[in-house]
Amino acid sequence: MAFQILINVVIAFSWMFLKNQWAFPDFIIGYFWGLVILFLMRRFLPGRFYFERVLAAGRLFFLFLRELVLANVQVIRDILRPKLKIEPGIFAMPTELKSEWEITLLSLLITLTPGTLVMDISDDNKILYIHAMNIPDADQAVAEIKNTFEKAIMEVTR
Amino acid sequence: MKVNDLILQTVTTLLSFIIIIFSVYLFFAGHYTPGGGFIGGLMTSAALVLLLLAFDIKTIRKIFPFNFMTVAAAGLLISILTGVAAMFFDVPYLTHTFGYVELPILGETALASTLIFDLGVYLVVVGIAMTIIQTIGESE
Repeated sequence: MAFQILINVVIAFSWMFLKNQWAFPDFIIGYFWGLVILFLMRRFLPGRFYFERVLAAGRLFFLFLRELVLANVQVIRDILRPKLKIEPGIFAMPTELKSEWEITLLSLLITLTPGTLVMDISDDNKILYIHAMNIPDADQAVAEIKNTFEKAIMEVTR
Repeated sequence: MKVNDLILQTVTTLLSFIIIIFSVYLFFAGHYTPGGGFIGGLMTSAALVLLLLAFDIKTIRKIFPFNFMTVAAAGLLISILTGVAAMFFDVPYLTHTFGYVELPILGETALASTLIFDLGVYLVVVGIAMTIIQTIGESE
């Protein structure tokens, strides 16, 4: 990943040297041609083509924005209801993510989703303890988190 | 009772870089816009205090292996020396000057000797703030 970005920057600089123009637009043009060359040569490079990961990160960002809006609508609904219909509780959710960055990202995303809040992480970083507003929906929540956020984060990092 | 500080530590490592670059911006912005040595130093200390909150005092000692009292003293020395340097040019103590210098990459840049004085202020503020925090943190 880092190696591919480095190659891309080197191509962009070579473009600027060849054109003998030192301006930001020329760098962008060189970078674009570098992307095209890297895409054509992606079979020779180690790992995945890095721009796929950039797109996946963009998708994750929009997913995050959508969940943020939904979470706040849900909270408004819960507040304006005359009778509270919540059953709070805490459940454990095993996670397959490994690195610190992945787990932190997942925890922050879970905290911003409707009705769930990460309270603690087990010492071996394998289990997240989540406080839910409606504990009967916990299994459904686990399935949803696994299908959306974990998948999206893995798309970016693996 | 040991808690897993994974989220706090990961977010702190990212945030401290942003806070430190903001403090550097504030330090250099002081001549024409709000900012300067004092607020830049306080902002750097804030980043270090955030690291202290997320990690423990031994880790910070390992990463920044200097005595903060020495930092404060060095800053005071720099500030005094910029004042004394003015007296060699037959102008009163603490007179500051500025000039336009041709630098190799940046082209024509206005350099003021006030910046060196501000660097001294910056070091004094960082040194004193960190000394206070560490002294309070260590006393049981």
